[in-house]
Amino acid sequence: MTRPLEVQGLGYELPGKEKRETGNGRFLVRDVSFTVGAGETLVLLGRSGSGKTTTLKLINRLLEPTAGEVRIAGARARDLPATRLRRRIGYVIQEVGLFPHFTVARNVGLVPRLEGWEPPRIAARVRELLAIVGLDPDTFLLRHPHQLSGGQRQRVGVARALAADPPLLLLDEPFGALDPITRVELQREFQALQQRLGQAMVFVTHDVREGLMLATRIGLMHLGKLVFLGTAEEFRASEHPECRAFMAAA
Amino acid sequence: MSPHPPSPSPFGRRGAQRVPRCLALLALLLTGCAPRDRIVVGSKNFTESDLLGEIVAQQIERRTGLPVARRFHLGGTFVCHQAITAGQIDLYVEYTGTAYTAVLKHAPVADRDSVARVVASDYAQRFGLVWGKPFGFNNTFAITVRRRDATRYRLTRISDLARVAPRWKAGFGYEFLERADGFRGLAALYGLRFASPPLAMDLGLTYRALAQGKVDVIAGNSTDGQIQALDLVVLEDDRHYFPPYEAAPVIRQAMLARHEGLAAALDQLAGRILDAEMRRLNALADVEHRDIATVARDWLHSTLP
Amino acid sequence: MQGIHGGGMSLWDFYARNSGEVLGLLGQHLSLVVTSTAIAVVVGVPGGVLLTRRPAWRGPILGLANVFQTIPSLALFGFLIPLPFIGGIGATTAIVALVVYALLPIVRNTYTGIAGVDPAVREAGRGMGMTDWQLLTQVELPLGLGVILAGVRVATVVSVGTATIAAAIGAGGLGVYIFRGVAVVDDTLILAGALPAALMALAADALFGLAERRFAWRGK
Repeated sequence: MTRPLEVQGLGYELPGKEKRETGNGRFLVRDVSFTVGAGETLVLLGRSGSGKTTTLKLINRLLEPTAGEVRIAGARARDLPATRLRRRIGYVIQEVGLFPHFTVARNVGLVPRLEGWEPPRIAARVRELLAIVGLDPDTFLLRHPHQLSGGQRQRVGVARALAADPPLLLLDEPFGALDPITRVELQREFQALQQRLGQAMVFVTHDVREGLMLATRIGLMHLGKLVFLGTAEEFRASEHPECRAFMAAA
Repeated sequence: MSPHPPSPSPFGRRGAQRVPRCLALLALLLTGCAPRDRIVVGSKNFTESDLLGEIVAQQIERRTGLPVARRFHLGGTFVCHQAITAGQIDLYVEYTGTAYTAVLKHAPVADRDSVARVVASDYAQRFGLVWGKPFGFNNTFAITVRRRDATRYRLTRISDLARVAPRWKAGFGYEFLERADGFRGLAALYGLRFASPPLAMDLGLTYRALAQGKVDVIAGNSTDGQIQALDLVVLEDDRHYFPPYEAAPVIRQAMLARHEGLAAALDQLAGRILDAEMRRLNALADVEHRDIATVARDWLHSTLP
Repeated sequence: MQGIHGGGMSLWDFYARNSGEVLGLLGQHLSLVVTSTAIAVVVGVPGGVLLTRRPAWRGPILGLANVFQTIPSLALFGFLIPLPFIGGIGATTAIVALVVYALLPIVRNTYTGIAGVDPAVREAGRGMGMTDWQLLTQVELPLGLGVILAGVRVATVVSVGTATIAAAIGAGGLGVYIFRGVAVVDDTLILAGALPAALMALAADALFGLAERRFAWRGK
């Protein structure tokens, strides 16, 4: 049985002569391999500049890998046109990036509309998703992003990512820009969501507590390499210096 | 001048230096207020006017030693007229016919002598301006067409134009369009009915427009250098619509009175330039693109050594 | 000072007596402005979009448009006259020159309008699988429309003024009255051309301002 996401030997080398402070020279990501099953959440943990966001972007080809292979549900990511690939992957970013001139309904229904769904089907799906992320459809359908709080916006962002029912969800520090109280609230709700939905997820964060809470497995990245891959328990017990450092900061 | 022994300064040593400086400053200020001992020569905005203006300017400089300030290419007839009546310029070259019809607003007549007489007396009475003796050529409006059209439609006189006008496009400069002795009177007298109103543009562009076929007839100047160069034909003014346009210097009475040698210097130029000569000088400047000051200087040296 | 004023009639008498000619020149003027602005939009908006896709070209192209802007209008008309096809005496040359002058505000504002879109919006759009064209037409252009329209507004207002100079090269328009008036020092004639031109510029400014307010996305 093919898993939703398989990453093998993934690497990304910066073009040109740029050097980064990672100590790895021009490699932002080097030889990263992991798989994620349905219903599983892989948390990519690491310091700033460890390569976790870059890895995420290599999966949906916002950056093109210079080495290695990505397979989505068995198909090679490289073989699909990038836009088609991305429509099968949900993408949530820290700044959310809702379209300011679209209503909440149009924002959430974006990918279904791009994929040519029938309008009634889109409308029903939007309502369903808003309910899932905890927003009352009747109140929020016709609002615009600037009328929403930060937490509400990110809920819409998640709903948008789930709209076309993709097998894989990528989240890049989705709660990083929220105040602590809202953040905790959303983390809890997200945990509940994980159980309800069957998506495979890759969740990037630098917050170890968040990671431990939401992870099926944790992938710790350091200087572009995956230095640890295992369950939360294994992470807590690990002797690896980087794991130790993170646990100390938890 | 014999050298004077230095006189003791009333202001002490440093004062001795201050005084000349103060005087210099004062002199500078006064030159702004006092009547200048120089003459300002103007010209209209076409080559021939610039040329004649330059010739007059150089002649004055040679014969009288008076400093000449040049304000050339000012604008059309009316701009120059306003400038001279306001005292901003002292002299410019005008044409008798233009003064008669456009400035004095008389109905145009063809008689050379009466035009000259009226213009001289009216200008003296109304504006305090004096007419010098004419240079010797008549630069009238030249209703001009392309040679191949002249041959094809057998055009030699302006009257012939009435035949082709309904199918033709005319192009004129702005002054010709507006003046009483311009397009309107011409069209009325000769019965010229063009299909559409004439194309209006900067006078200098009308030759190009004619040569390129953009228009079929223009009103150039009979002494223009480009007529021959572009293989154009001037139609004869068989009904004598246009008055004579004899070029002569017009100068402010006050300026003439103040400087003795001025009249004599200007008189030397009288009758020295005939039609062909003016055309030749215009061609040097317009077609061969020679520098106007040089053309003027060469002409003066060879004609009035 | 004795001036040579033609006619001495009032402006209204002039308009009443020459209504046909006035309307004709007004129409010519409008045609010059509308045609040149339309061409400048068709060329300039895609041009500005291109600059957002190829940042390396931004310096040279904006620099070039800037240089065009500094050429005095009469001089530009003069340069264009001898050229084949786009030159010659008449409206064609005038329109080419007017397009040249309209390009800078339109290209620059298109670039700024699109570049000013929140990068997060662009990233989210791309990440969800929008093609470049979909992103451009559904997100970037709508969000940047206000700034783009402002550029078109500036270009149009400038064109109305510059088009008066076109009369010097036989392109017609309200400048004909102005040049005629200058040639014979007639204030009425000059005003007969200058006043409608000024009103036209004001109207264009107001119209586009309205369009900006109506169509531009005003967020928070």
